[in-house]
Amino acid sequence: MFLSDLPLGQRAIVLQTPDSLPVKLFEMGCMPGEEIELVFAAPFQDPMCFRVQGTLISMRRDLAKLIPITSPDAR
Amino acid sequence: MPDKKALRIALVGRPNTGKSSLFNRLTGLNQKVGNYPGITMERTTGLAKWAPGVLAEVIDLPGVYSLHASSTDEEVVMEALLQEAPEERIDRVIGLADGTNLKTCLFVFSQVLDLGLPAVLAVTMRDEMERRGMELKTEELAATLGCAVILVNTRTGEGLDALREAVLRAEPSGKLPFFQPGGLHLRWLAQVQEDQSMALPYRAWLWGLKEAQVGKSDRLQQPPPRARTDEAIQRYRQVNQWLRAFFVADPVKDRRWTARLDRVVVHPIWGSVILFGLLFLLFQGLFYGSEAPMNFIDDQLAALSTWLTDHLPSGFLAHLLSHGLVPGIAGVLMFIPQIALLFAFISLLEESGYMARVVFIMDRFMRPFGLSGKSVVPMVSGTACAIPAIMSTRNMENSRERFLAIAVTPLITCSARLPVYALLIGLVIPNSAWMGMNLRGVVLLGLYALGFVAALAGSALLHRWMPAKKTPAFLLEMPPYRWPQGRNVLTAVWNRTKSFVTEAGKIILAISIILWFLASFGPNRTPDFTQERAPLPIEESYIGYAGKAIEPVMAPLGFDWKVSVAVVSSFVAREVFVGTMATLYSVDDEDNTTIRAQMAREVNPRTGQPYFTLAVGVSLLLFYAFAMQCASTFAVVARETKSYRFAVIQFIVLGALAYGVAWIAYAMLV
Repeated sequence: MFLSDLPLGQRAIVLQTPDSLPVKLFEMGCMPGEEIELVFAAPFQDPMCFRVQGTLISMRRDLAKLIPITSPDAR
Repeated sequence: MPDKKALRIALVGRPNTGKSSLFNRLTGLNQKVGNYPGITMERTTGLAKWAPGVLAEVIDLPGVYSLHASSTDEEVVMEALLQEAPEERIDRVIGLADGTNLKTCLFVFSQVLDLGLPAVLAVTMRDEMERRGMELKTEELAATLGCAVILVNTRTGEGLDALREAVLRAEPSGKLPFFQPGGLHLRWLAQVQEDQSMALPYRAWLWGLKEAQVGKSDRLQQPPPRARTDEAIQRYRQVNQWLRAFFVADPVKDRRWTARLDRVVVHPIWGSVILFGLLFLLFQGLFYGSEAPMNFIDDQLAALSTWLTDHLPSGFLAHLLSHGLVPGIAGVLMFIPQIALLFAFISLLEESGYMARVVFIMDRFMRPFGLSGKSVVPMVSGTACAIPAIMSTRNMENSRERFLAIAVTPLITCSARLPVYALLIGLVIPNSAWMGMNLRGVVLLGLYALGFVAALAGSALLHRWMPAKKTPAFLLEMPPYRWPQGRNVLTAVWNRTKSFVTEAGKIILAISIILWFLASFGPNRTPDFTQERAPLPIEESYIGYAGKAIEPVMAPLGFDWKVSVAVVSSFVAREVFVGTMATLYSVDDEDNTTIRAQMAREVNPRTGQPYFTLAVGVSLLLFYAFAMQCASTFAVVARETKSYRFAVIQFIVLGALAYGVAWIAYAMLV
């Protein structure tokens, strides 16, 4: 499952992310092992806004498609 | 003299941490807005006396999430902090942290500390922390970080004295390092340190990774992968430890207002309704709200002009003052109400946290044009006037998008085009009904639509053609909503207005005096400044000759020499077209209907029919829709892009476009 598939208001855990992703994502707090929640999204789910480590970060759908997640129970 | 030199203090922190509020508090209105060398990013510094004999130069660096460069913002900050030349070196750093969101703020601050600079951590949003029952054990955190930690409230000024004192006493932290690279990374770092003889590991780390990223160092060994990622993971682990030990919070109360507001503000339907409502308000405000102050300025300067004519002995000097200088000053001052209004509005949007939502809502729509939601504000403001609209692009972080927005904003139908459109539409478009609507109204609406379409299409084309450098990923933080601070709004309005008057104002004034000269003097006739009317007939002035000289060039567009003269002279401002036409047709009062009636009587000597046919009218309308006929826009573009070349190319390209479109339209209609 990827971040782009997360339903509104649902939480998940970020899995190990590929090296090709912008490091800024990490530095803003979105990193493996953190809980992430889809807070709101624009029409057509693009862009999407997530809460991670207490911060709201929005990103375009094509980036969210590259971030693997797992359900919080799996931890 | 070391004691004479100002202490250079940099403000470093994430965006939305109250950095500009603190900056305004520390420096007052004594600010200087300049530019970073080589790029068009704004650099604000402020001087203040902090203690007897201690002058502080506070530098407001852009907000960043990390010292590693992902975009120009971070590059600027890193370069400033790595600077070693004595006159450029940063002496002290004030790190900023939003007390309600410490985690990501402490991440950046631990990077700053690792650079070995004397630093103090200022924790903002103190009032909000108290309201939410958050508690930070500052003394314990200070002991762990090895630097002072001061709680400040930028609204009331609480904690500022303590902050100033701590900054003066600050020394490099003795608790370094907070990040220790391991394995391959450590070996690579040791190599960089040795090659560059850099004593401090983190300095070498930042520098080495930047060089590797730019790819300009062949001598430098490539760093092992995941260097920055590992650093981020290690630092966050550390920050989380600190917060567990020193911070108490009630997570349920957290950000409840923001979440509640966001349910409406970024709602797929309500969000758009609110946004368009606000943009409509902006449009109304710029269009009608600035009318009264603009009329006031106009009246005062017209009175001054009359007074000068009446009281000075008539002659060259009186004419220069009353017809060259005063209208030039009017041309500068007239824009102030709109600029002030627009920047108050933008500042409110930014301060409240709403601007990030605008970008979010509009992102999908603006993306194909190479623009983001931020361009919506200049596009809408452009319907009032391109001057404040182009200035408003300063708030864009992405320089490529800023370039696109500045390039196409003059195409938007501004209020100066209205008198020209009104005159020409009244002249050539019949006052009949079309699908139940007044045809003249439909044409005017069509011209507005044309402006927007041309601007967006132009931006999309440039976006396609312009070689794309690495575009930073679209990662945008949604700051929590906050009540805007009046002080910050006023400072923003003051700085913008001041820089417009002192910088673009000079160019506008110079151009209007040059144009006055060209309209008042001619090659073959000595101007007579003693009489009441113009010193010489306009057709015998340099502008008149220029108009006649380009008549053959303008002929394919259907323009005769009179229209050509009016087109040339309206380079000052588009609405001058109306006045020039009045002069050329010897109409005394500048009332639209009178001029229109006179123009309607004009006969084309070739056909014997009325000269202003539909073809000529449409051709002229289209010419004014596309051409950058505005000296002030030219001046502001030159100033904002720091490049006359840009302004000249824009002027030529838009002129060529106007010519081409008008030509095709005329050829098809005639």
